[in-house]
Amino acid sequence: MIERLNLYLERSGQAIVDVLHEFGGAWLFMGKVIRIYRKTSGYGKPIIAQVAEVSMRTMSTVIFAGVFVGAILVLQFDAMLRRFDAQALLGGLNTSATIREVGPLIISFLLAGKIGAYTTAELASMRVTEQIDAVESLGTDPIQYLIIPRFFGIVLSSVILLSIGLFVSVAGAVLVAQSFSGMNIYQYIASIPRFAGAWTLFEGLVRSTLFSTIVATISTFKGYTASGGARGVGKAVTQSAIYINIYIVLANFISTSLLEWIHDFVYWIAGILGGLK
Amino acid sequence: MSIRFEEVHKSFGPKKILDGVTFEVKKGEILFILGKSGMGKSVTLKHIIGVLEPDSGKIHVDQFEVSSMFTEQGRDLLPKVRQRCGMVFQHPALLDSLSNFDNIAFGLRTPQYREKIGREPSVDEIDSIVREKLKLVHLTPDILSLFPGEVSYGVQKRVSMARTLAPGPEYLLFDEPTTGLDPLSTSSINELINELSRTLKVTSIIVSHDMACALSIADQILFLDQGKILLMAPPSEVVKSKIPLVSEFFQETLSLLPPDWRFE
Repeated sequence: MIERLNLYLERSGQAIVDVLHEFGGAWLFMGKVIRIYRKTSGYGKPIIAQVAEVSMRTMSTVIFAGVFVGAILVLQFDAMLRRFDAQALLGGLNTSATIREVGPLIISFLLAGKIGAYTTAELASMRVTEQIDAVESLGTDPIQYLIIPRFFGIVLSSVILLSIGLFVSVAGAVLVAQSFSGMNIYQYIASIPRFAGAWTLFEGLVRSTLFSTIVATISTFKGYTASGGARGVGKAVTQSAIYINIYIVLANFISTSLLEWIHDFVYWIAGILGGLK
Repeated sequence: MSIRFEEVHKSFGPKKILDGVTFEVKKGEILFILGKSGMGKSVTLKHIIGVLEPDSGKIHVDQFEVSSMFTEQGRDLLPKVRQRCGMVFQHPALLDSLSNFDNIAFGLRTPQYREKIGREPSVDEIDSIVREKLKLVHLTPDILSLFPGEVSYGVQKRVSMARTLAPGPEYLLFDEPTTGLDPLSTSSINELINELSRTLKVTSIIVSHDMACALSIADQILFLDQGKILLMAPPSEVVKSKIPLVSEFFQETLSLLPPDWRFE
């Protein structure tokens, strides 16, 4: 019994150490990528090519998902608000929730599945078939040639795709609100500024950038450090998907708390400054 | 001018891969590294081009100490070593997204090559080098516009050799160049390695399982086992060796050779 308990504790401890090791490794890798990017130049074309490739490959999925994210939220909020006869708030509540929270989260999960898995698989197969070693042996830094364009390509295209996704979500929500909830489109739009303002957009943008950076870091890191043949590629892709989702959820929680605190602080300062006037 | 290993140790986790390996390859020699799988043969090659860092010991390529190039300052010297060495990997390791032409030209478009020739190579110059190397590996220009996925594995191996030869290395490192090939292609690749090493007068280190090929073209044969060197000797001494693993390799090879085969 005690032996089993020891074994269980040992395995749990090792799992925690592994997760922390991966987390630390990913941080160091991101630091290295940014350091090399700042020290070198000539990435304009490859990054633009990556942004174009990733965006084209993922646009349809993001638009499809975006429409339904907005639509589902409208149906849920409508059902709740109807009970309190507060349907007039539907547009504002729905838009705020979509831009601040649900949109970035769901669309990031989709991007993780589509771009993250693709990037990890591509780099991991290059690693196990020695393409990365070959690039290095021919005098090219693989971080410069393979990682930097993909890393910044993913971050930039994800921010663009998330923005498009959020716009489509809001548009989809308006259509569903009008068609299914019988809401007046002008009434819906009029309520938006009550809940969603510049700060909401700022929060959405911060989250989108944060989640995109997580997708870019983990997918390139897991692909670049893969080993062990076809099995290693499979393992890298699975781990990449798991870690990206875990880190996005954690980052979402931390960013929500932090942004709320910053929001309150900014309004407190604004209040003091207003009082002084 | 040589490649020299001095007491090199390397472990991956608890597993010792190289355990005090010391040897030297002189300019113009062909060295075969033989041994069972997982005994550190490929790891030895990757140390030479600085893809792997030894745990301890020294590795010299000409006047450069590769083992000291894993610091921020030392890294700047690594391109000088890689200019001298060309490695043909176990897999063709061609970049799938580039055509065969661009794969062969890859090393000619790097800062390392620009530094070597002291200027930017012109488009015509790159084209001419690519075609010249393609001829050396007995391929025709019609494969240049194709992508690696569109040609056979044997052709990919030759394209990979042409890519390695393009920047004009002084040392050629072959990591199991005949893995995955049929007997006919194996024999033609072995002939090609011999021809390239002799005609280009480059120093070659070949990691292989092919004892017959080693006996016919090597100047020296090195046996690695459990991370240690069992024997390093010319083929004429290897065939007389009484070391169990060496004679086992030799006997196995004899069984594959024609009955009238004699070592010359």
